[in-house]
Amino acid sequence: MKKYFHHFLAHLMPVFILCVLCPSAGAQDPEGGYVSRKEYEELKQQMLALKKELESIKKEKTAVAQPAASPAPPAAGPSKETVQPTASLEDLVLGTTKFHIAGYAESTFEAQNRNISSFEASFNPIFLWELTPKLLFESQIELSLGEEGTDVELEFAQMTYLLNDYITLGVGEFLARSNVFVERFQALWINKLPDRPLAVYDGILPEKIVGIEVRGGFPLGPTRTKYAFYVSNGPKLITDDPSAAGMLDWDNFSDNNDDKAVGGRVGLFVPMLGMEAGYGFETAKPGDQGTPFAHVRSWLQSVDFNMNRDCDFLKGAIDLHAQYAWTRVDHAVFDPDGSLGFGPLSFSNKRDGGYVQVAYRPTKVDVDFLRNFEGIFRWDHLNHAPGGPGAIDEERWTLGLDYWLGPSTAIKAAYEWDKPHGQPNTNAVLLQAVMGF
Amino acid sequence: MTSKLNRPGLALIALVLFAIAGFCWEAFAGPKKTSNAENESSNTGNMQLSGEELWTMNCRQCHNIRPPTMYSNAQWDVIVHHMRVRANITGQEQRAIVEFLKSSK
Repeated sequence: MKKYFHHFLAHLMPVFILCVLCPSAGAQDPEGGYVSRKEYEELKQQMLALKKELESIKKEKTAVAQPAASPAPPAAGPSKETVQPTASLEDLVLGTTKFHIAGYAESTFEAQNRNISSFEASFNPIFLWELTPKLLFESQIELSLGEEGTDVELEFAQMTYLLNDYITLGVGEFLARSNVFVERFQALWINKLPDRPLAVYDGILPEKIVGIEVRGGFPLGPTRTKYAFYVSNGPKLITDDPSAAGMLDWDNFSDNNDDKAVGGRVGLFVPMLGMEAGYGFETAKPGDQGTPFAHVRSWLQSVDFNMNRDCDFLKGAIDLHAQYAWTRVDHAVFDPDGSLGFGPLSFSNKRDGGYVQVAYRPTKVDVDFLRNFEGIFRWDHLNHAPGGPGAIDEERWTLGLDYWLGPSTAIKAAYEWDKPHGQPNTNAVLLQAVMGF
Repeated sequence: MTSKLNRPGLALIALVLFAIAGFCWEAFAGPKKTSNAENESSNTGNMQLSGEELWTMNCRQCHNIRPPTMYSNAQWDVIVHHMRVRANITGQEQRAIVEFLKSSK
């Protein structure tokens, strides 16, 4: 405090002198009076005293600036000098890299017509490691219960580098950018129903791929354009399975040919409206190298629309997601000589499917209890190629009700009407508890 | 040689050229960083959105919003970095959102 007081005096002195001298100059009043010799001497003494005090302050300041030459000053409350080391203390303790574990855990009960009811559970940690503000490693592992114990699956493991504000480079195993559901909504604390929609999940679109990517976003007027393009190993064409010939195996992590798949997604996001529309695609040659299937090409396309916005009229928030996809595999003849027992089978595998999901949560009603509920409706379906082997066309209608215990913790219940074409129904009751962290 | 340049090959070349162009842009004409949060929030393209608005609009597109107090400043740095990649958020928007989250505690 003393130090500050001295500084204050030092700055006050010139002002004081001016204040003192000006009235003395003004002492030349109309009456012609001047400052007396006595007054002049008093002022001179005061000025000399202040000057002396200023010099002593300067000396003290110089001494403080040389810590080796003098002991540390006593603590006199927080100052910039003392706050600065405290602020950097966190960095010293935690290091320069930053690590965080996110993800979710869930437990589900499913009772489906024509199947045995069962409980299941999984733990899905996501490891985020920011080595520098530009370099991030992220990986998700799914730990679930299988028939013979715990199943472990690597969902993604990717390094990304922020090239600049609008471009990011990535390499490794990552979620398929051409499939917006997998990238954004598949996590069960985000997906509002206990199960995922047909076609876009475990269906006709890729989920995780190995390769490199370029992605980012840039403002375009009142909107933001999002883009992601990648080159990856691509899918593998199934040729020897009677129930799946002509379909694509997306888990083709060790490639079966030199051709690489090319894909991506472009989206337009309108923040003020809470809407986004996108288009995804991927093309590849999925056949085994050196076989008659080497020149068969596959092509997929996907369109999506997503909206989330408050609605005063409905006293709540509306959440809408819709995605529809088409895949095509060029015409090919499978088991041409019949040696595999199901040929010759000649067809072009064309499939399509998608979903529409609408959810409503009364976030603006006065009753706290009601604000935690959310109702969901979903329609999803999957069409297979006529004449092709394997799966059956399927259409489902699902009604669900969630109760949110927190922003990422929910208890979900749903009833699903499921009618595979030409088959008895497989309606189901689903219950789920999920916690995101 | 010509037959080697199939579509994936051309795409790979395009990606590399795109990356090189990005490097050049960053090195010679990239946007200058500012440390002022206010500047960040008013400089996110033409949208003129604050960090809070960007946080709300981007996050709730996919999931419920988590309160700023749920994580430490260091954790928010990593989380928003992760979400910038996942949701194609620009660097300016990322910085404005992080500034908002840290200042909201």
